[in-house]
Order: sequence, then C-alpha cells, then structure tokens
Amino acid sequence: MENNRKAHNHKGLLIVIEGTDGSGKSTQIELLRRWIEDKSYGCMVSEWKTSRLIANVIDDAKDRNLLNATTFSLLYAADFADRLENTIIPALDAGFVVLLDRYTYTAFARDVVRGLDFEWVKKLYDYAPEPDLIFYLDMPIDILLKRVIGTTGLDYWESGRDIGLSTDFYESFKIYQAKCLEQYNKMKPVYNFVSIDGTLPVEDIHNIMIEHVEKLLESGKLE
Amino acid sequence: MRLSKPHGLPGTLICVEGIDGSGKSTQLAILRDWLKAKNLDVIFTEWNSSDLISQTTKKAKKKNLLSPRTFSLLHAVDFADRLEQIIIPAMKAGFIVLADRYVYTAFARDVARGVDRDWVRNLYGFAVQPDLALYYNISAEISLERICSNRAPSFYEAGMDLKLSNNPYKSYVIFQNRVNEEYSAMVDEYGLVRIDANNTIHTKQVLLRKYVTELLKQKGIEI
Repeated sequence: MENNRKAHNHKGLLIVIEGTDGSGKSTQIELLRRWIEDKSYGCMVSEWKTSRLIANVIDDAKDRNLLNATTFSLLYAADFADRLENTIIPALDAGFVVLLDRYTYTAFARDVVRGLDFEWVKKLYDYAPEPDLIFYLDMPIDILLKRVIGTTGLDYWESGRDIGLSTDFYESFKIYQAKCLEQYNKMKPVYNFVSIDGTLPVEDIHNIMIEHVEKLLESGKLE
Repeated sequence: MRLSKPHGLPGTLICVEGIDGSGKSTQLAILRDWLKAKNLDVIFTEWNSSDLISQTTKKAKKKNLLSPRTFSLLHAVDFADRLEQIIIPAMKAGFIVLADRYVYTAFARDVARGVDRDWVRNLYGFAVQPDLALYYNISAEISLERICSNRAPSFYEAGMDLKLSNNPYKSYVIFQNRVNEEYSAMVDEYGLVRIDANNTIHTKQVLLRKYVTELLKQKGIEI
C-alpha cells in the first residue's frame, strides 16, 4: 500500500474525520465547526452520502436489497463525485475550511471488506484532493459494539449481512466491523491519520483535535 | 482485470457499438430473430436499462445535473447491475448474449467528454471480455441527419455540457466526431471489428451473420 497523492492547490483547507459507525464523528465535527467559526473562519460541513443526485437512490436500493459489491461501490463513488464537484471543491476554492464526515478512506475500507480489489477502488477515487488533515477515531471493537447496539441498533449493511459473514446478526456485525477496523489500521500509517483514542471523553478528543487544527490554521496554508 | 482476459464461460458475448443512427440496434434485432429461429438460447441487453439506476440517470440527464464524471459513474452503475443480474448468469448458462452497446461506449463517450482515459478503463475493469465486438462506423453528419429526422439532439448526445457550440446541431457533430475518433482508436486497442455502416441493412446483416457463424463454429455450435 502506498500513498502517492499530492497536496491540493485549492485556497481552503480540507479536514476529514474518519472512523467506524458509533465512533463519535458527528459529535466531534459539530464541536470543531463551532470552534472554527468562533475563530472567524468560514467553515462548511459535508457528510457521506448526502448528494442531491444519488443519496436517496442508495437508500432505496439498500432498503430493497438490490446491491452487489460493485454496484454498492459505484453508487457511493457517484455520490462522492457529485458532492465533491458541487459542494466540496467550490467551498475549497472560496477559501473555506471544509470538514468532512468520512472521505475516500471509508470507501476503501468498506469496498475491500466486500471483496473488491484495493487498487481498483483507489483508482476510482484518484481525482479526489488529498486532505490537509485526517483524524481517525480509534475504537476497540467491544466498545464499538456496545455503542452501536445501545443507540442505532444493528443495521443490515453496517453488519455486512449482504456478504454472508454469518446468519447470526451479532456475529455478522462483529466480523464486519472487525474487518473494517483492520482496513483502517492498515491505512493509518500510509495516509498519515492522526489517530485518536475514541474512548476518551468528548472534551479531551476535541482538545486534541483543536491543537492540530490550530497548527494547520497558523501554518499559513490558508490564504 | 477481467476485461483483459478471455472469459472462459460457456456462453458467447457479442456486442455492437457505434454512434446513434449507425443502424447497430437494427442489425442486432435482426440477428436475434435469426438466432432464435435457429433454436439457440439468446438473451438481449441494452445500455442504460438496469432496474437499479436507469430511470435515475434519465431524470438526471433531463435536468442537466450530470458532470462528465457523474455521467460516467452512473452509467457504470447501470452496467455493473446488468452485468451481475443478466450478462454473467446468462454466460454461465451457455446463452448467446447480445449487447446493444458495451464498455466501449463508455470508453468512447466519456473520454470524448474529457474523462481520463485510464480512469474509465479501470472503472470498467470488472467487465467480461466480449467474444465479438463490432463497431458500426458512420460520420457524425450522417448520424445527425438520421436521428434528427424526427427530433433535435438531446443535451448530452450533443455534448452541450462541453460548451463546444451554442448550436446543438453543430455541437452534436463536433462531439460525435470525437466519439468516433475514440472508437477508431479502439479497433487496434481492443480488436473492435470496424463495419462500414453506410451499406444497406441487407449487406450489413449478411456480414454480421458471417462473423457470428464463424465465431459459433469455433465454439462448436453449427448453424
């Protein structure tokens, strides 16, 4: 695995928060957004699978179990391309700090777990700008399981039930999430993830994040 | 990638390519009737017709919502869905699969739209390699005469998204010439069989049946 992508030339900053479901990404993004705006910077948040073009098609296809690994991957890639072109790049060009809840790494992890070739998926997203900062909320599998069961419950796709890992819902979820974590762990050093212990209190995680963001803002990269 | 290797499946995959108005669909329809009359197992599939996404793509085209990249990705979703649902099962069951347009349509159109050549070839790397791919070649001017006898060219057909000309007819000719250039380059790259589409329906059908008869003979099917 190698990372041969180059820094982007857009005026703004691209900050990504990655992690599995239930790792606390949304909470941290909201805190970070407020902090950045308090500092008088323009900030925009964009979440995974929210394009006007295709997000509802993905939901519908998932509800009706219409997807295989390749169509699953390509629909998400189309969603990403639409958001990138219509939301993310324009904001970056306008000099915003763009906070992204999940980025290409989510696709890499999920698609590889679904059996697709990593080189193929990487090429699919090779036009995406390299983030300036990537946070990864690291959660041990046992705590992750409890969090998800205690909040949203076990989702069909987030349990990888489409790939027949186990007929037992709990087992399937555990195996799928463990496989995703394995992929994230492989990517950590390659893409320079700032890995943060997701079990820390919300405030502590936030403080670690703003330390990194502050350095980035002071680096002069943002014009 | 699967596309670069012979498929090794019991079935036979035949596809026709070319710009609109080249008469390829007529040729394939006549061929289908003939093969069926010979009691062979034949199945037909056409570009952008999947249950999963074709309606979404058509709507998005009507509203001019697509960029070259999302245009490319949505057609890839459609293709991937038909490949898994229709083409591969039929190939495994030993059918003759007739495809009205195949991956070469994407390679020609998307590259004519400015999408990276290698990127789109990687995108469709999961496709099954056809046993026979015919390219029906006519000029953009004749194509325009044929398709515009009863309607104006549509926005994307004319490549209006590329701002080549404000006149849709002029834009159509410029854009479809580019598509033809890409097809022509694929005669060497992928061994597409170039057919002069200016000939009569009868002449073209005789030629097509000759190619198909030879191919089936190699597979041990005598017609």
